[in-house]
Amino acid sequence: MTAAAGTEQYLRRHTGSSGRSRLVRYLRVDSWGALVLPLLLFLLFVFVVPLVVMLQRSFTDPSVGLANYRAIFASSLYVRVLGNTFMISLMVTAVTLLLAYPYAYLMTIARPKWRMFMLGLVLVPFWTSILVRSFALILLLRDTGVLNTTAQDLGVIDGPITLIRTMQGVVFGMVQIALPFAVLPIYATMRTIDRRLLAAAEGMGDRPAGAFWRVFVPLSLPGVAAGGLLTFIQALGYYITPALLGGPKNTMIGELIVQQVSTVLRFGFAAALATMLLVTTMLLLALASKFLNLEKMLMGRS
Amino acid sequence: MSMKKLVAVAAAAAAATALSACGGGSSDDADSLAVTMWGGGAQDAHVKTYFDPWAKDKGVSIKQDSPTDYAKIQAQVTSKKVSWGVVEVEPNFANSACAKGWLTKLPQEVIDKAKSSGVSEEQITECGIPNLQYTFSIAYNTDKFAGSHPKTWAEFFDTKKFPGKRGFWKYATGGIFEAALLADGVAADDLYPLDIDRAFKKLDTIKKDIVWYDTGDQQTQLVASGEAPLVQAWNGRITQAAEEGQPVANEYGENLVSYDQVVIPKGYSNTKLATEWMMWFLDNQQAQADDSALSGYGPASAEAVKLVPAAKRKDLAGDPNVSDKSAATIDYVYWAKNYDTVTEKLNGWIAQ
Repeated sequence: MTAAAGTEQYLRRHTGSSGRSRLVRYLRVDSWGALVLPLLLFLLFVFVVPLVVMLQRSFTDPSVGLANYRAIFASSLYVRVLGNTFMISLMVTAVTLLLAYPYAYLMTIARPKWRMFMLGLVLVPFWTSILVRSFALILLLRDTGVLNTTAQDLGVIDGPITLIRTMQGVVFGMVQIALPFAVLPIYATMRTIDRRLLAAAEGMGDRPAGAFWRVFVPLSLPGVAAGGLLTFIQALGYYITPALLGGPKNTMIGELIVQQVSTVLRFGFAAALATMLLVTTMLLLALASKFLNLEKMLMGRS
Repeated sequence: MSMKKLVAVAAAAAAATALSACGGGSSDDADSLAVTMWGGGAQDAHVKTYFDPWAKDKGVSIKQDSPTDYAKIQAQVTSKKVSWGVVEVEPNFANSACAKGWLTKLPQEVIDKAKSSGVSEEQITECGIPNLQYTFSIAYNTDKFAGSHPKTWAEFFDTKKFPGKRGFWKYATGGIFEAALLADGVAADDLYPLDIDRAFKKLDTIKKDIVWYDTGDQQTQLVASGEAPLVQAWNGRITQAAEEGQPVANEYGENLVSYDQVVIPKGYSNTKLATEWMMWFLDNQQAQADDSALSGYGPASAEAVKLVPAAKRKDLAGDPNVSDKSAATIDYVYWAKNYDTVTEKLNGWIAQ
């Protein structure tokens, strides 16, 4: 199957379809294409329209002009918090991927019974509210929490080690929320990798580790890219977990946006903050795709 | 599928979406009152004690919603589709929303009734009457401070004499600035307008010991676990936790009195019913007392406190045990004007 797909890709690449004809192929709609209409309409109403309204309000509410954006840059707070937000999200993404990759790999080689168990472990937290999980983590990690008191009773440490209200606290809390979003796509990709390719590499004289790094890892990258992207984008919007587990310096932009919408009621300013977040994210992704071929990694297409 | 057909399908789908969007408007039946409060056990108590009995007498029904959301009030009023009738809000919002014309100005008879029924005058405004009172006071862990505990804000800020972390609400109107200024020696009568810069200077001295909380559950958790053995807390939460057997207690020295108000968003179809309820509520001290016994919040009227069973009374805002020690009442007229700017300053100070 993989070989066939590869051949098709090879042929496609070398039959020289020009950019224009590719575009036409993308846009040509046959009767089946109509099936996509409900989704398109849905996205139009619940995504595109609100996005346009948000953009528009950021320039018009309370007065027409750039006042909202000027206010963002007038105080060092917002730029700093925006920077924080990206820093934390990147760290969370990195840690999540480091943990998710071996876990997903283990899932692919485990026996079916164990695989189900591992899948369950990843999925169960999904069904619990994030707020409840964050509170549970507080009970576990605080100075007077389970970890610290146990370690003190065992004589491992003298005084409590500060685990929450710090950067580690935020990363810890967010990683456990993000983990399923990274494990699942990576696992899904790894599962489709033909193991015989590894055997072939070894048969051609590579060491097992070499075959893993040179054959398995590159083939699993689409899953890593998808998982990383999901984690990163999601993490940008977190604010409850950082507010509960983080220190005062770990405020994320989401918390300030919610504050503007729910208590200060400056919708235009909130819209401007959200727009800043969106634009910066898009710029970062554009930058990233310059260095990593994101499209190829995500779509498996050149 | 031909292009024509495709367009037809798209048009039909769009029309259907538009139709269903329009059909969502609620038609209020004439004999119900929509009540929106902050939710949880407190709302259950309020509805049970001072909405349901009235509704039963009157032969109307109560429609509940929660929690209060200022953005929704604004959206309802500006789109002229008001579905919330009586809404419990913070008084600074009541003041600024009243000035913006989002709330119904209360009829004179309601204002007069409030004044004549033992409600503190400073808590009555053009658009709102108070429905409950509470205090921002010192909550302490009784295990950590078994011998002596801070009794003033100056002692609360004294981390040498009373070591340990301090919990504050991450919220500009949560009493933190008032406490800091009192701790710094400002006389209670001279608190307002608040000297925010001076308050920050005082707060700087204990900044590394501050733990911020966002929710009521967090504050009891902080004190009870000893994580932050001293917290500027809402007294009702601490009373409740103490009753559950947790090692916490309220110290009412220099407590700051706060209150919630009930308001009527402008354009609500049953405004008359809402003001009728207000009249009943102000007249009905027993209902207020019943609510206090159940919710732990002090009643709006000083007279009603006397009707609360003695065992429950000593921890209620409005009872002499608490009110004799009050330093001040939060000035929500000040906060209506300054909430936005001080919030921004507080965000900046916290993140620094």
